[in-house]
Amino acid sequence: MIARDRNWLMIFAVCVALAIIYPFFAGGYQLTVIRDALIFGLFAASLDFFWGRTGILCFGHAAFFGIGGYIMALVTLNDAIPFGSLLGIIGAVAGAAFVAAIIGYFLFFGGIRGSYFTIVTLAMGVICQQAAVSWSSVTGGDSGLIGIPPIEFDLGGLHVDLSQDLPSYIFVSAIVAVTVLALWSISRGRWGTVLTAIQDNEVRAAALGHNAPLRLLVTFVLSAAIAGLAGALYVCMAGLVAPDLSGLLLSTEVIVWVAVGGRGTLLGPVLGAIFIQRAQQTISSFNPSLWPLLLGCVFVIIVFVLPDGILSIYARLKGLFKGGRRAQ
Amino acid sequence: MSDILLQAENVGIRFGGLQALEALNLTVRDKELCCIIGPNGAGKSTFLNVLTGTLRPTSGSVRFLGHDIAGLPLHRIARLGIARKFQIPSVFPSLSVEDNLKVARWGAPSPARPVGELLELVALTNRAATLAGELAHGQKQWLEIGMALAIEPRLLLLDEPTAGMTPQETLATAQMLLRLKGEFSIVAVEHDIRFVRALNCETLVLHQGRRLRSGPFHDIETDEMVRDVYLGRR
Repeated sequence: MIARDRNWLMIFAVCVALAIIYPFFAGGYQLTVIRDALIFGLFAASLDFFWGRTGILCFGHAAFFGIGGYIMALVTLNDAIPFGSLLGIIGAVAGAAFVAAIIGYFLFFGGIRGSYFTIVTLAMGVICQQAAVSWSSVTGGDSGLIGIPPIEFDLGGLHVDLSQDLPSYIFVSAIVAVTVLALWSISRGRWGTVLTAIQDNEVRAAALGHNAPLRLLVTFVLSAAIAGLAGALYVCMAGLVAPDLSGLLLSTEVIVWVAVGGRGTLLGPVLGAIFIQRAQQTISSFNPSLWPLLLGCVFVIIVFVLPDGILSIYARLKGLFKGGRRAQ
Repeated sequence: MSDILLQAENVGIRFGGLQALEALNLTVRDKELCCIIGPNGAGKSTFLNVLTGTLRPTSGSVRFLGHDIAGLPLHRIARLGIARKFQIPSVFPSLSVEDNLKVARWGAPSPARPVGELLELVALTNRAATLAGELAHGQKQWLEIGMALAIEPRLLLLDEPTAGMTPQETLATAQMLLRLKGEFSIVAVEHDIRFVRALNCETLVLHQGRRLRSGPFHDIETDEMVRDVYLGRR
């Protein structure tokens, strides 16, 4: 257990170091590509925090990303609201958390688990995307909202202006690093251990005095809040928000990022998001319609062949050489 | 009468057309040890489910320290001080033995026993870092008893604690329980007669959902009627 923690921290430190030296080698455009990939990495980490620790798959996580994005867009595009960027981020996080709290309350306390939870959240994602398309007076309909200003705020004498490539890259990297580290320390401690216990045997955990539905709900709300934060960051960097951001395709993509990167590792999904988006850009440049097809195939293969992610290949090989002992 | 911990009065339960339990009474006093025995299908587990509040009786009542516990959420019942060991060993297989006990302690309102002492009590000190899923069957049963102890119960309910154990393990389990006797009340549901003999305590014999006999074990063991329906079948 302790060796595993040390390994994780070492990989984390290497990633942070790479993120720090990257700007010295990369131009402005490459920085923005990695920056946007990192935002989706944060989104993937938020899903992993819930899916990886509870074993319950949310198939509509893009709904929270989209809710965060739309709230951010609406707040910053409204000139009457002061401190638009800060209030927008707070609103995006709170809005996503609020929706997750309401949906999660009825699902968890109603005893909905496993595939049923996945199906309901899938429907939730579809509803959110449909609402974004149909409620065009507010959301701009199919074309979405454009002209969202970059993040800019003053905090304790510090002026933050993210209209340039490098500051926005640094800001996003710092947020991703801090959030992933925080999620990791939550999930390896008491909170995560009890969640693993609930995943193993919920009735037993309850018979030991743990309020399992409440714990699952809080985890879900926290996960959605971070997805909302990622959505808010993304729309400010991209300058636009569209119904796709809460859609089924993004919900599927984030699951693939987590599955490929390694469920339950938090860091793996961030890396998974970066590498798969890189692959997506390369493949889409040959043929744009090829990507969804490949994505679907990768998803099916991962689910059937490598349910613990690409990283588990290493653990499995190690297990093979250890004379069939279960790999940890 | 103030030392009565658990009182079941005139408990009956119907599943559709089947009268699973009928007119059962049980009084458990503070720090008392008692056993419920009976052949397969006698209603032992059902009765235990009623005692822990997971099943609501269709007639009669179950009161723990004077409170009606039927239908309370599981974690609330646990926090009142009722610990339960399930019939199928239910430990958390993907956690280590030590983490299993930690999770159990964290659920308690005021855990007193440190993990080290719990490990010692259930003879698993040298397996602390092992994943619970890799333990032998008997050790899983013990770990589960350890987890039940971790919540500092007033009442410990054991559903066939020795199911699937070797005779040596069964006797070791009985000795484990005898050591704990006097700290809290224990109700054990069993059909292994060697185990109940080793405990030698107040015993309730169920047959087809009804009370057949109750009394000290040596009276029960010599009872002709009990022998006919139960002991004779061994």
